[in-house]
Amino acid sequence: MNVVAASLSAAGGLAVAGAISAVLFGRSVRAALVGLLTAPAGAAAAVAGAAAAGGVSWSLAAPYLLPLTGVELAVDPLSGWFLLLIGAVTAVTGVYTVGYAGRQGHGPGARPSLVLLPLFAASLMLVPVAASVPTLLVGWELMAVTSLLLVLTEHRHAPAVRDAGIWYAALTQLGFVALLIGLVWLAGTAGGPSFAAIRAGARDVDAATASVVFLLGLIGFAGKAGAVPLHPWLPRAHAESPSHVSALMSAAMVKLGVYGLLRLGFDLLGGGAPWWWLLLAAVGAISALYGITQAAVARDIKRMLAFSTSENVGLILLGVGFAGMYAQAGNSTAAVLALAAALLHAANHGAFKALLFAGAGSVVRATGTRDMDRLGGLVRTMPATTVLFAGGALAAAALPPGNGFVSEWLLLQSLLHPGPDAGPMLTIAAPIAVAVVAATAGIGVATYVKAVGTGFLARPRSDRAATARESPPSMVVAMVLAGLACVALAVVPGLTIPVLSRIAGDLRLAPPGGTVAASTFALRVEAATLWPLWTVVGIVAGTAAVAVAARALGRARRRAPAWDCGGGPLTERMEYTATSFAEPLQRVFDNVLAPERDVDVTHADESRYHVAAIRFHQRIPDRVENRIYRPLVTALRSLGERVRPLANGSVHRYLGYMLVALLAVLVVGVLR
Amino acid sequence: MHGATWVEQAFNLACGLLLLTAVGALWRRETSALIPILTVQGGALTAIAVMLAAGHPDGGQAVLVAVVVGLLKVVIIPLLLRRVHRLVRNARETRPLVNVATSLLAAAGLCLLAYAAARPLVAVAESPTARATPVGLSLVLIGFFLAATRHRAISQIVGLLLIDNGIAATAFLATDGVPLIVELGVCADLVLAVLVLQVLTARMVHTFGDGDLDDLRELHD
Repeated sequence: MNVVAASLSAAGGLAVAGAISAVLFGRSVRAALVGLLTAPAGAAAAVAGAAAAGGVSWSLAAPYLLPLTGVELAVDPLSGWFLLLIGAVTAVTGVYTVGYAGRQGHGPGARPSLVLLPLFAASLMLVPVAASVPTLLVGWELMAVTSLLLVLTEHRHAPAVRDAGIWYAALTQLGFVALLIGLVWLAGTAGGPSFAAIRAGARDVDAATASVVFLLGLIGFAGKAGAVPLHPWLPRAHAESPSHVSALMSAAMVKLGVYGLLRLGFDLLGGGAPWWWLLLAAVGAISALYGITQAAVARDIKRMLAFSTSENVGLILLGVGFAGMYAQAGNSTAAVLALAAALLHAANHGAFKALLFAGAGSVVRATGTRDMDRLGGLVRTMPATTVLFAGGALAAAALPPGNGFVSEWLLLQSLLHPGPDAGPMLTIAAPIAVAVVAATAGIGVATYVKAVGTGFLARPRSDRAATARESPPSMVVAMVLAGLACVALAVVPGLTIPVLSRIAGDLRLAPPGGTVAASTFALRVEAATLWPLWTVVGIVAGTAAVAVAARALGRARRRAPAWDCGGGPLTERMEYTATSFAEPLQRVFDNVLAPERDVDVTHADESRYHVAAIRFHQRIPDRVENRIYRPLVTALRSLGERVRPLANGSVHRYLGYMLVALLAVLVVGVLR
Repeated sequence: MHGATWVEQAFNLACGLLLLTAVGALWRRETSALIPILTVQGGALTAIAVMLAAGHPDGGQAVLVAVVVGLLKVVIIPLLLRRVHRLVRNARETRPLVNVATSLLAAAGLCLLAYAAARPLVAVAESPTARATPVGLSLVLIGFFLAATRHRAISQIVGLLLIDNGIAATAFLATDGVPLIVELGVCADLVLAVLVLQVLTARMVHTFGDGDLDDLRELHD
């Protein structure tokens, strides 16, 4: 029994123990028990993932577990990488749950929610270690069902939660059906349900079938990853679910979509055609741009983080797409670099988004609102949360020395070097992608400055924000853990290089045993590994030097009241709100966002030249949703209304339909 | 071809009994008569499972499956049905959607169709028992027909049980033994369905005074 097997069984056992203890124990200890069992389960999974990423292999076939097909599990460096990510996020979430679910026994502390949490974590761990199509599909569906129920945790509080649940259920089922058809079709053509059989038989699959399978996989996997245009579930589900669930979903679950695309496209289908990857890169670019523009103008802190997830997933998919295109063009160095950037960004996003959602959850718990226009001033009442959230925001804004910067920089590096003999497709696509990444990074900075500046700094703009209290220690500890992961990834990302190059080799992006390619890769990334550490040192040293120099050489400081235009003391009404801060950006992107504004002016009775009151109301709708999904829903609804007479409420009529259908199938079978 | 051994004869008898009881369920309209008919059918199904288990090389699991089937079909389900029956005494299908004589004719037609449709199955199956597969298929069709044409809620239960017996018979006859886990899953499903229908009947009797499903139409809009 090697380390992977031992840790995975420990993780599974602890998760099941967590679910059982949630059933058995009362509300005073329930959350603590579940949290403290889920955290080591995640840690064990992370150990298994690290070992697998380090090259320890393990596989298990249990034909007795699932009827007809059995369960097949196996790990390789690729699954290890994602297992490590999922395990680490689960561990942080577990610790966070102790304080977040608390002892109140309802909402996130309710029994069903706590039973489902470890099961959701376990299903997340099952997906990357699945080694056959049925096992993957079972894990995928388990993950979808448990997460859906967790999203619905607070359904009694707001109708928006039920709405989110319906959107999530519909889109996730659409994705599942696409995956089911695609993967089963692939298994049928390639000669077996296990991944090993598909790998061996993939050469016999004709190009058209492979393309259709890839497109179906793209719908399923990119939909789960939250890529535009399959994203409408994401801002809803992430915003309305309890924050520990949002963290698990955003930091871990959406990454499994990326994992699925890598597994299907590179590993099972062996690379395919260049246009697959161009399409994927285009989806990624659109998601990145659309996600960040929506995030920039969002008022709801969790909706903002959710759209930022779409953006980051878009960047990851962009990297994956370019890795595929480079590999097809024979430029293995750039391919490996792009893949490494994508994988590293997946890990980075997992770390900082877990931190940010935990921070947002802490804010929502203390103030009862997600509306950044009504926050502010939390730096004084919740200092730990503020500092940690600001750290996460620095990483998410892709500014040095944050960890987001490292991977986005790597991505830019790969995009900037398409090579001299790249075809016309790459020569055109790469510069466009550079522009996309640059634009995203720029708007990203504005987004996160808005989040920290209007959410946490200045004066409180509501009573709840003014009287907020710092979260319990377990939540702060969880955020510190996530923050430490961010720091580690920011300072020594070079440690991941051997793993990333091993994954690239496994996915046949780098020629096996090609020493030249391997050494150039090592050299180039050598430059990239040393960089982050020195960046951190340089920034810290520079800041310290400026501060010291200002003290030593500058004029003495004096205290004076802030300039208030002579309008009396400054009040919180004069501050920037999230809406007003984003207003210039919103003006720039007016054509894309098409905000709906209402200005109601009430005139004084005496004269219409005198205004008694002005009400301003603004809503920024999701245009993709309005253009694609609303007409679809309307069409389906009218179809449903039209066939209504078929269902008249008589049980016999329904049974008759079934009988007639069965007879028709049999008769056709006999006659054929 | 030599004369059939007594095992084969018993096997044929059990298959015949399956079909006969299905037709019997269609023929008798009193609920009180349906329960013994179903018990006999369950017994026949159990007998088939036992005989197959006896001839099976890896008999342990197959015997266990047979025991589970017997327990469910001969003991538990009739018990549940009797409880439903106690709710609606003297229940009779007074006016089925299709009258009894026509039903019997339709059953004959359904059997013909089942035999015709199952020919490819019989052709590919190796075991001699697979020749009896059409019986299972006929059971399914007759069960469906029963459920679609009768008013009483208890008739729906009986139809469902016929369908399930048919599926189980097909599974036993056409394959080389059903895995225990599959059979357990099916059994759990069935008990659940019967329980739900029992609750439904109880609520209907409570609300409407009898178990006529057409009363439910009022619930539509």
